[in-house]
Amino acid sequence: MLKMTHLSKVYRTEVVETYALRDFNIDVKEGEFVAVTGPSGSGKTTFLTIAGLLETFTGGEYHLDGIEVSQLDDNARSKIRNEKIGFIFQAFNLIPDLNVFDNVEVPLRYRGMKAAERKERIMNALDRVGLASRAKHYPAELSGGQQQRVAIARALAGTPRLLLADEPTGNLDTQMARGVLELLEEIHREGATIVMVTHDPELAARAQRNVHIIDGQVVDLAEDPRFHTAYTAAAGQIRG
Amino acid sequence: MQIKPILSALRRHKAGTVLIALQIALTLAIVCNALYIIHQRLAHIAEPTGVDEPNLFAMANLWGEQYTKEQAAAKVQQDLATLRQLPSVADATPTDGYPLRGGGWDNFITMKPDQTAKTTDASVYVGDEHFLRTLGLKLIAGRDFNAGEVQNMGLRESTIPPVTIISKTLADRLFPNGDALGKSFYSMSSTPTTIIGIVDTLHRQDVSTWSAPYTGQSLIWPLRLAQPLGVFYVVRAKPGQLADAMREAPKALYAENRMRMFPAKDGLVNYQQIREEAFERDRGMAILMGIICAVLLAITAAGIVGLTSFWVGQRRRQIGVRRALGATHRDILHYFLTENLLISLGGIAIGTLLAFGLNLWLVKTFSLGFLPLTYVLGGMVTLVLLGQGAVFAPALRASRVPPIEATRPA
Repeated sequence: MLKMTHLSKVYRTEVVETYALRDFNIDVKEGEFVAVTGPSGSGKTTFLTIAGLLETFTGGEYHLDGIEVSQLDDNARSKIRNEKIGFIFQAFNLIPDLNVFDNVEVPLRYRGMKAAERKERIMNALDRVGLASRAKHYPAELSGGQQQRVAIARALAGTPRLLLADEPTGNLDTQMARGVLELLEEIHREGATIVMVTHDPELAARAQRNVHIIDGQVVDLAEDPRFHTAYTAAAGQIRG
Repeated sequence: MQIKPILSALRRHKAGTVLIALQIALTLAIVCNALYIIHQRLAHIAEPTGVDEPNLFAMANLWGEQYTKEQAAAKVQQDLATLRQLPSVADATPTDGYPLRGGGWDNFITMKPDQTAKTTDASVYVGDEHFLRTLGLKLIAGRDFNAGEVQNMGLRESTIPPVTIISKTLADRLFPNGDALGKSFYSMSSTPTTIIGIVDTLHRQDVSTWSAPYTGQSLIWPLRLAQPLGVFYVVRAKPGQLADAMREAPKALYAENRMRMFPAKDGLVNYQQIREEAFERDRGMAILMGIICAVLLAITAAGIVGLTSFWVGQRRRQIGVRRALGATHRDILHYFLTENLLISLGGIAIGTLLAFGLNLWLVKTFSLGFLPLTYVLGGMVTLVLLGQGAVFAPALRASRVPPIEATRPA
């Protein structure tokens, strides 16, 4: 579903080159629920934005649902984002001027879908996240948890092949976070592929597989000599 | 189309939306009426006089001595003989004024001697048997005056000659069946005057607004001014010799009699100068209205650019979210163009009502004509194009907001 090979992302200024990702390799299979973790500045958000075609990469290859995306123009990238990817952002990113119904409708309109089909999909998605009764409410009238549910409904309404979540519970309290996570798990059980970036170990532990990023590279914590001692100690604590 | 969500978003930005819509409305109302005024003024400026303007000039001759009627008549005859013998002059005539001079002599016209209300109003010219030929008027029916019909007219004399030549406009006004020739009318007198000739066009002396309904209604009486103050001479130069004639004529008249003067203002003027003087206010008004239109359109365009730029800056993250959710550059561009179109249409709807309301007030207050629909339609198209043009640059900037903007901290 999502395969990056020797991928790199370099930010260049006149005096310095900064590698956000370096020789980055990852392969997410269809139906997987993968948590991507790592310290701040490790490159996990950069990975997510490249995975979601929100920005381009400098080198390597990236196949999304079998399509090599590096040569695609902006319109083709927009189309793939619209049809294959659902985004869930930490800050929800709902459009404050639009009510819940219209917010969920945004990606569907860009797909050129007919009004009747749009309405059916929107109401199904809102029903799924338990907010069908709030369709006419504006984001400012909802709690943080409800706003994130609307964002999830917006991501689901287009039936994407891949859900990308960036710290989906980062702005929520524990109870709301739990609800959102349960919803993501439920969506995964129904067959969705989910890649979730988080630095919350508890959240990461709920995923099927964890991928850890350090200094722009995927590392196996158990194998990497730099982290071997710390990892063994931490694992021992968890087991103990 | 995204009309519903755009309208929904605009409802959440009422102040900016309403301000721009009102600005568009006011601009439409003022620009439509201003353009109509400009059109009317330009049409007024372009009105034909019916005279041979390229070859004519006028001289305001003021006597330096007090003459009796007979003396003045003799002096005028002598002057005319002098002028007519100049090699650059084709003909000359004495008169009380000439088309576009301003002011002039107006008479009420009635069809019966005891009629109390006027039938219409006519500008009165007096001239001798050379008047038509000198001014280059086109006689379309009847005949010219003969020398025997021309009488001298002294100061404060109210002479109503038995014959007259009138303009076609006046003929059609008095006798709509086209049978004016040979018919009579009354001109502030119980003595009838008979139409012996009809000329194609002869504009009034006056160009002010009040006389607009009577434009082109003129009559000529065979009278030679013999007055102690002075007289106008209209002189027709031979083709291509206007400058020579204008130089030679005053010299020749001074040589004949020094006791006269030609005032600085209109002592010696050609038709280019006469037109410029006559329509100075119209031209000034047209220019002023043009400047007002340009300034209003520029302010409206600037307002649209400013508001849209502000909105683009304010919604940068929102645009990034839309891009992340699949909007192309073109989708974002269309969004802002459509948003502006909707605001413009709202403004235009209000502006149309305002335009007709303002026109009604101008009609009642300043006798302006009724605003033709074409001006409003033209104004609508102009403002839509202006809005779309003004919004294009900020909309283009918006379309270039990258999708990564969605992930930036708020």
